[in-house]
Amino acid sequence: MPGVRSVYTTGQVARICKVSQQTIIRCFDTGKLRGFRVPGSRFRRIPIESLRKFMIENRIPLEQLENGKKRVLVVDDDAAIVEMLSDLLRRDGRFDVRTASNGFDAGIETRDFRPDIMLLDYKLPDINGDALCRRLRNDPQHAYIKIIIISGVVDPDEVSGLLAAGADEFIKKPFDIEQVITKMSELLGLAA
Amino acid sequence: MSQSAVAISSSEGSLSPAARVELILSQVSQLPTLPAVAVQVLAATQSADSSAADVVRLIQADSALTAKILKLLTRADLGVRDEVVSIDRAVVLLGFDAVRNAVLSLQVYETFASVEPGEGSVLIREEFWKHSLAVACAAEMAARAASKVRVDPGEAFVCGLLHDVGKIALDACLPKSYGRVIAQCEMKRVSICDAERAVLGLDHTQAGKRLLDQWSLPRSVVECAWLHHHDELPESVQGRDVVQVVHWADNVVRRQRIGFSGCREIEPIEPGALRLGIAAAELARLLEQLPRRMETLSELFGLGAFRAEGVYTRAIADANAELGRLNAELTETNRRLTARSRAYEAIRAFVTASGERDGVGDVCAAGAEAVGRLFDAREVVTAALGPGPLLHAGFWSAGQTRRAGRCFDPSVLGPDPGWLRPETGEVLAPAPHALQRVWRIVRECDPPPDCCVLYVRHAGRVIGAAMFEPGLTPPSQRAGREEGESLSSALGMALASAAARADAERLSEDLLDLNRRLKSAQHELLRTRSLSMIAEMAAGAAHELNTPLAVISGRAQILARETEDENLRRDLQTIIQQARRASDMVTELSHFAKPDAPRKARTLLKALFERQYLHWQERLRERGVECAFEVHDEAAGVYADAEQTLAVLDALIANALEAAPSAQPRVQVNSAPGATDETVRISVTDNGSGMTPDVVQKAFDPFYSNRQAGRGRGLGLSRAQRLAEINGGRLWLESDPQHGTTATLELPARED
Repeated sequence: MPGVRSVYTTGQVARICKVSQQTIIRCFDTGKLRGFRVPGSRFRRIPIESLRKFMIENRIPLEQLENGKKRVLVVDDDAAIVEMLSDLLRRDGRFDVRTASNGFDAGIETRDFRPDIMLLDYKLPDINGDALCRRLRNDPQHAYIKIIIISGVVDPDEVSGLLAAGADEFIKKPFDIEQVITKMSELLGLAA
Repeated sequence: MSQSAVAISSSEGSLSPAARVELILSQVSQLPTLPAVAVQVLAATQSADSSAADVVRLIQADSALTAKILKLLTRADLGVRDEVVSIDRAVVLLGFDAVRNAVLSLQVYETFASVEPGEGSVLIREEFWKHSLAVACAAEMAARAASKVRVDPGEAFVCGLLHDVGKIALDACLPKSYGRVIAQCEMKRVSICDAERAVLGLDHTQAGKRLLDQWSLPRSVVECAWLHHHDELPESVQGRDVVQVVHWADNVVRRQRIGFSGCREIEPIEPGALRLGIAAAELARLLEQLPRRMETLSELFGLGAFRAEGVYTRAIADANAELGRLNAELTETNRRLTARSRAYEAIRAFVTASGERDGVGDVCAAGAEAVGRLFDAREVVTAALGPGPLLHAGFWSAGQTRRAGRCFDPSVLGPDPGWLRPETGEVLAPAPHALQRVWRIVRECDPPPDCCVLYVRHAGRVIGAAMFEPGLTPPSQRAGREEGESLSSALGMALASAAARADAERLSEDLLDLNRRLKSAQHELLRTRSLSMIAEMAAGAAHELNTPLAVISGRAQILARETEDENLRRDLQTIIQQARRASDMVTELSHFAKPDAPRKARTLLKALFERQYLHWQERLRERGVECAFEVHDEAAGVYADAEQTLAVLDALIANALEAAPSAQPRVQVNSAPGATDETVRISVTDNGSGMTPDVVQKAFDPFYSNRQAGRGRGLGLSRAQRLAEINGGRLWLESDPQHGTTATLELPARED
């Protein structure tokens, strides 16, 4: 199952935009589609950002680029939970899943992967979930990202603090997996 | 005369003292009157127009009298060597006054000497007159020898001779009573005047004055009879000098033991001699000449031969005096022994009666009784300060043999009453004003007029006081200072040790209380510390445990969703449930340690019970439990968090259901008014087998379960208790091993 890439070849872009490769090469060579050549060769490469920009400028529907799947970033320092959640979401089939085990990785993935939704553990080794929430909410570029905090904390004060920091939902561990899918679907506007 | 005496004796009891004295004096006045010569002589000296010659003629008409006068006036020792041959000559040589005095001496003496002693009289007349004559001689000689006073020797003589005539008068009127006077005087060594006053109500000086006044004898003679017991008189007294001379002469004669006038008191004569200006040599000469002069005059006065320094008389007198002294000593010893035995009895009874556990009030009461017994008092009030600021008082009354102790705030006596600051160092004293106030407070009446106080001393300090009215015991048998001091120190010791005991008791009570408070503080600290530790731990554990539980549960859910194998799915469901249960346990523990803040509100129990019933009805039906919810009219609602109250009731009902027996299980939920209007009680009662006290005690411990190990988690009741507490209420269990258990939740009825 092909995921969302960060760099595309002219052939891939031609398939996504449903035009000939020659048209794409001409656009690349005239500067309408920005990209770079692989050093030491003549192969053209197009980063996803310029592809997205190109598609928007030329009114090409973006669905083709996103292959219809919602991008999910699972952030938890516990490998087993990350694995379990990824497994669950991939089995569902409607989600592109990436993972991060700390706040720093989560930041990089947010920029590169541009997730639609984030399943965020509250306590991370380097930053707390509520701080991450606040950073994302204060950044207009990422304000669209839905955030579900999944945590073992039980203190109601802490839970309300997390919601105040900008989280859309709180799910307590251990959880009913159906409940996780349901909440995600609701936030993403998917049919349950 | 003896008939009159009888008459007086028989009416002694019914007369007032003043009337009695008047009656006696009137009897005295009925004594024989003076012979005519004496009356004439007195008249001559009092009126200017009557000439001395008339008196001399009168005297000379009585040849016996003339002889006696001439003999009286012949003083070879004074250089009147020639015998005075006639009254005329005597008047020329010695002056009319000398003659007059001689007449008076002889005539008055004869008058009295003629008075027969009454029946039962013990006053030996001969001895009495010997004494009087000796005083007359001594006074006459002293008047001559004295350089500091000017007294006519003749006058001194007649004054000395008649100074004690009051005694003769009283003895003549009341011979039996006067006998008692002399006996008392002998036995108890009191002065004769005191004895006379005690027995008769008046003394011989009063009687003598009355009689001599009536006879119109010269002022100096009357005053000597009246005042001769006083050695220091104010200057204003007319016959002061002659009274002093007679007083001193009386002492000289008593010391020389010449005759007997009813008493044997002896005063030193030297100071008197000094006062009168009689030099030591003169005094020695006087003492030497006195017997010789007595020898001369005894016969003249019909007293028989006077043997100077008669060995026999002297020996008898000495023996008499010694006997008197011994007697007096014995009497005194007897008095002291009686008083001491009373004191000993009182102290012994006091020590026997006071127990080791007696408080200060009890000791006060026992002390009151001891003081009452010692001093023969009718009522006694004792008081002691402390321990602490209170005044402890005891009271005892003889009539009711009643003892009572009480205490009160000493501030009712006013600021700093100073009631324990005796005015003198005496242990026995009249009760001061401040102490009388104590009496008034304790007895609610005025203290007796002659209220005494016995101060209670300990370690040199006054620590209490006993007030009382001395009883009817004769003064001679009354306890005195010494006995008072003994009892005072016994009381002081008992009071001090009672106070010390009370102090020690209070200290140990304080210590116990402190211990109790320390223990409960420790317990509370332990509880809060373990609670906050649990809270902290539970919060950390929640995160740490819930993550692996989420993995387990999640994986099992994924597997269960995808498997076709029913058995496997069932197993997976078990895993999922157990994981959730484990997680709930952690959550519950966390909530137990740090419960949600209650949202208190007025909550109606009817609605609460309905919800409760709906919640439980299925399980109740399943187990066939008969369950009744009843709301009392006056306990319809509570002020508490509804959800938390429900949680408490849940725990209590769950607990009751567990305890209920399988046969006819019954659970009763009732509301009722609490101990005060401010509270409402909700009780949950089962008809199970009840709990042992041990189980009741542990029922609220977290994780304690009476069920078998490994079953149930036992946070229910302790969490319920915690919720009850944060809602301002409390929760407790009462269990009867036969009749089941009642759990009671008490909550505030309304907002504070």
